[in-house]
Amino acid sequence: MAKTLLLGLGNSILKDDAVGLRVVRALGERMTREEVDVQESSFANIDLLDFLGGYDRLIIVDSIKTEGGKPGDLYRLNLGDLDSTLHLSCPHDINLATALELGKRLGIHIPGEIGIYAIEVEDNETFCETCSPMVEEAIPRIIDEIAQREQLNSSTSILDSKRLV
Amino acid sequence: MHSHILHFFALAAPDFVLGPDANPAERNILGLINKVGLDIGKEVIKNRAFAQETQKILAGRATHLVWSLPGGVSKGITEEERKKILEMAKVNLEFAKFGLKLFEEVVLKNQAYVDLILSDAYQTVTNYMGLVDRNNKVNFYDGMIRVVDTEAKEIAKFKPADYLQHIKEHVEPWSYLKFPFLKKIGWKGFVEGPTSGIYRAAPLARLNVADGMATPLAQEAYEKYFDTLGGKPVHSTLATHWARLVELIYAAERQLELVQDIEITDPKVRVIPNKVPDEGVGVVEAPRGTLYHHYKTDEKGMVTRVNLIVGTTNNNAPICMSIRKAARGLIKAGTIVTEGLLNRIEMAFRAYDPCLSCATHSLPGQMPLQVTIRDSRGKIVKKISRD
Repeated sequence: MAKTLLLGLGNSILKDDAVGLRVVRALGERMTREEVDVQESSFANIDLLDFLGGYDRLIIVDSIKTEGGKPGDLYRLNLGDLDSTLHLSCPHDINLATALELGKRLGIHIPGEIGIYAIEVEDNETFCETCSPMVEEAIPRIIDEIAQREQLNSSTSILDSKRLV
Repeated sequence: MHSHILHFFALAAPDFVLGPDANPAERNILGLINKVGLDIGKEVIKNRAFAQETQKILAGRATHLVWSLPGGVSKGITEEERKKILEMAKVNLEFAKFGLKLFEEVVLKNQAYVDLILSDAYQTVTNYMGLVDRNNKVNFYDGMIRVVDTEAKEIAKFKPADYLQHIKEHVEPWSYLKFPFLKKIGWKGFVEGPTSGIYRAAPLARLNVADGMATPLAQEAYEKYFDTLGGKPVHSTLATHWARLVELIYAAERQLELVQDIEITDPKVRVIPNKVPDEGVGVVEAPRGTLYHHYKTDEKGMVTRVNLIVGTTNNNAPICMSIRKAARGLIKAGTIVTEGLLNRIEMAFRAYDPCLSCATHSLPGQMPLQVTIRDSRGKIVKKISRD
């Protein structure tokens, strides 16, 4: 059965920065599918190679700041868009795309399917354990949307779900 | 160890193995593997993972350790864990030796690279700071802070708790990060040379402040380093890569020594504090420099004030100066600014392995770079951005 890793990125004490962590945590709590694992992390780089092997699908939830973006908006990005998210590249590490390519070349079983969700945030610089109001308000909707798009609620497999649609 | 391994092989080595002017699409760890072989790539990943695993066994997590408690740590290691670490430590030492050999083969046997390291564009003449043991050998966890001047003469040696008597922080309106300097000399601006109060920390500095390394192979490597680079102090920013590999050898040897220490499995790992603390300063040598943690507490032991000077912060002013010097040295009137030339400037920045998102806890964890090229009258000729 296809195995999925649901990875939330962020810093739990930097206000909106925690939104990726909170979303995957909530998804994990309501999920019934055993083939989906949930992980929270402050970065996604070369460390991924230590635990990514064996998954067929990777879903990343991270925060993003775009010019003119509305806090709480949800974007679905491709691997090529990674440089614009907040935790997927770092001045003293390799970025996720390079890490995944490296893993492939080294013979590690890297997920063939990668989905990246980025949530527009307002304030990721203030020490605080709750998000700003607009982001806070958007969280339940974001959880539903990701769960639905990625079919994370159902106990049926992805193939079964596709048949139901 | 995992930080030094990653920095050298993933971020520094591509500049030398592929060349500073190589296509950026190839000038990375993937290009490195193409050039030196897949097996070396596997060794890099394996040894970095071993170093991470050792920290996980010791402290619960590989990054952001969760075992520190007032009076000690939350757990010791079992004999079974010790044996596991021992096996990994042996492999790590062999790999550290390989790293140094690779540097010698690729960099030192290529006179153009030696000349590049020693070229004026990459020299930043500063004071240096680092932790040393009682014999003035490099130490990462314990000892006294030693400061040497631009000629490697000791100008201060102090207990970590006295750091505020020796360090002050300058503020600039254009940076959210402070600029530490030596209090006794004072802030003289972004200037290098013997009158400057600016100091550097991290591998280059640690080797400059110490009288040697506390382990045999690292000592050998230390001697070769200074012999080749013209004696102490070494002011070349690019030599930081070599210094990093000397430290990797030391760390691997020390790890192997500690894991064979009879007391390493002693379950007495904590002394329960019986007094309410009021103030404390802790210092370690982090991969990117001397790391100061200073806490004050109230009568209940609750923290009321915190001051941190993290590794990269020590090097904030020198980073600015090294970039400026590289740019001035490499871009002259009429110079065509190529991608390779920009990379050569970035190499002055990259050698510090700066952790700017960690140093400030704000702004995106990515590194947008912008280069503004001006003519001799200050008029902007070109702007280049990498977001």
